[in-house]
Amino acid sequence: MSDQGMKSRPTYAPLAPDPSGRHHLLVVEAAEVPAEALAEGVVPSAFEVWTVARRSAVPSAPAMEEAPGSVAIFRSVTHLFSALEERLARETMGLRLYAAGAEPFLWDVWGRAEKAGLSRQETAFAEVGPKARRIYCVHCRTVTEGVTTSIFTCPGCGASLFVRDHFSRRLAAFMGVQVDAEVPGEVPEAEELYA
Amino acid sequence: MTAAQPFNVRVREIVELAPSLKRFSFEPVHGGVFPTPPAGGHVLLTLRDGARVMKNAYSLVSPPSERSRYDIIVRLVAQSRGGSSHLHRKVAPGDVLEMANPVSLFPLISTAKKHLLIGGGIGITPMLSFLPELKARGARFELHQLATLEEVPVFERLLAPYAAGEEIRVHGGGRAAFDLAGLLARQPLGTHVYVCGPHSLMEAVASTAAALGWPKTKVHKESFGGDITGLPFRAVLRKSGIEVEVGESQSLLEAIEAAGVEAPCLCRGGACGQCATPLVEGEAEHRDDFLSAEEKAAGTLIMTCVSRARGPRIVIDL
Repeated sequence: MSDQGMKSRPTYAPLAPDPSGRHHLLVVEAAEVPAEALAEGVVPSAFEVWTVARRSAVPSAPAMEEAPGSVAIFRSVTHLFSALEERLARETMGLRLYAAGAEPFLWDVWGRAEKAGLSRQETAFAEVGPKARRIYCVHCRTVTEGVTTSIFTCPGCGASLFVRDHFSRRLAAFMGVQVDAEVPGEVPEAEELYA
Repeated sequence: MTAAQPFNVRVREIVELAPSLKRFSFEPVHGGVFPTPPAGGHVLLTLRDGARVMKNAYSLVSPPSERSRYDIIVRLVAQSRGGSSHLHRKVAPGDVLEMANPVSLFPLISTAKKHLLIGGGIGITPMLSFLPELKARGARFELHQLATLEEVPVFERLLAPYAAGEEIRVHGGGRAAFDLAGLLARQPLGTHVYVCGPHSLMEAVASTAAALGWPKTKVHKESFGGDITGLPFRAVLRKSGIEVEVGESQSLLEAIEAAGVEAPCLCRGGACGQCATPLVEGEAEHRDDFLSAEEKAAGTLIMTCVSRARGPRIVIDL
């Protein structure tokens, strides 16, 4: 049941600076740039790098340097996104935005990029980290993070949801649909599939 | 695809804007209204001068919401092949001309955060169609028009209805005084640039934008046809089984049409790619903006609307 033959799933590739770009900003959902996120021979200093420390004690950056090789550390993903929105709003044409992290993070970055006017040609994503899924309940619209099983209970409406391979780039989430809609109560055993 | 069946229009008014610029206003011959044109759209006019038939594309300059008339602005060029001089010198109010429905190869991109319009000379024409549309949409835009010093007031008058509170500038100091790189470098993310004007201006915008990191998908060029004249040659139409002589002031497409062969075409300016025809023998002198450098070097396709033969004879699969 894990391979559902879905052809529309996004695909990812290790990152390298796009030579046609003028400025390269890499946002990472971790404290360091994971080596597997970069193409062979590419070093993190080719980008201006933003990372997430997930702790309160981060070095303060009085005046953030916006140049290749500079690193800015954020307390949390939310903290990084807030700064990213501000940054994109005042950026000029020529920027290339790169992201490395789990799938929901990548598409949350895309949502902000698209809102700022970036096109797919101006962005690149590398998927690294856990494969746990963000699930959107198509019935009650509750979003649940970190789902690792084929079937789980929606915390919003209590429905037993089957985790489809159908990924929404807009919502940055996979679709969850009621698994016992035909015969209420007939819920197959959940399998641990996404970790 | 060939543009839909032409229909008849009557010349309602001709206004001289400058010594070499005239605005022609057309209305439907049988009353009623025209179809709503796309912003940045152009029409194809069939001009008959004796036995000679010319089909020229002209951008509409009237607002897309205006359906009772279609306006075009035509520049009389010194080396006119006949189209512009025919319109300037022989067409009078009340005359009836054949026109094909407007089409657009230069659409405004609805997802753009900002529209940067750059016109060079008569390349102002599609911009005049964009402006009312952008105003109506409440879109963010900026326009830069390049002009010769003596034509600055003419273009300022044409742009005046849209100028209040907008970033609209007419530059009369020549290309060297126009800071294209600075302009392109300071545009916010999500800007699309639209350029219409001489080939050299469009190339300068495309190459400067690329050097500054603009993706190709956000750079839009409208070609209104450069010089298509050249040495005469003979074209063999293999499928039709005929040969046509292409005169020095005539395009290959016009010669084919004069021989009564229906050939695909749309923009007639080397931009859209509709007229790409397999080249079986001979070498082409490519003058279009559609084929890539590799395709041009391969020499297997020719754009009949603007390109010519390099040599006395070519064979095409038409």
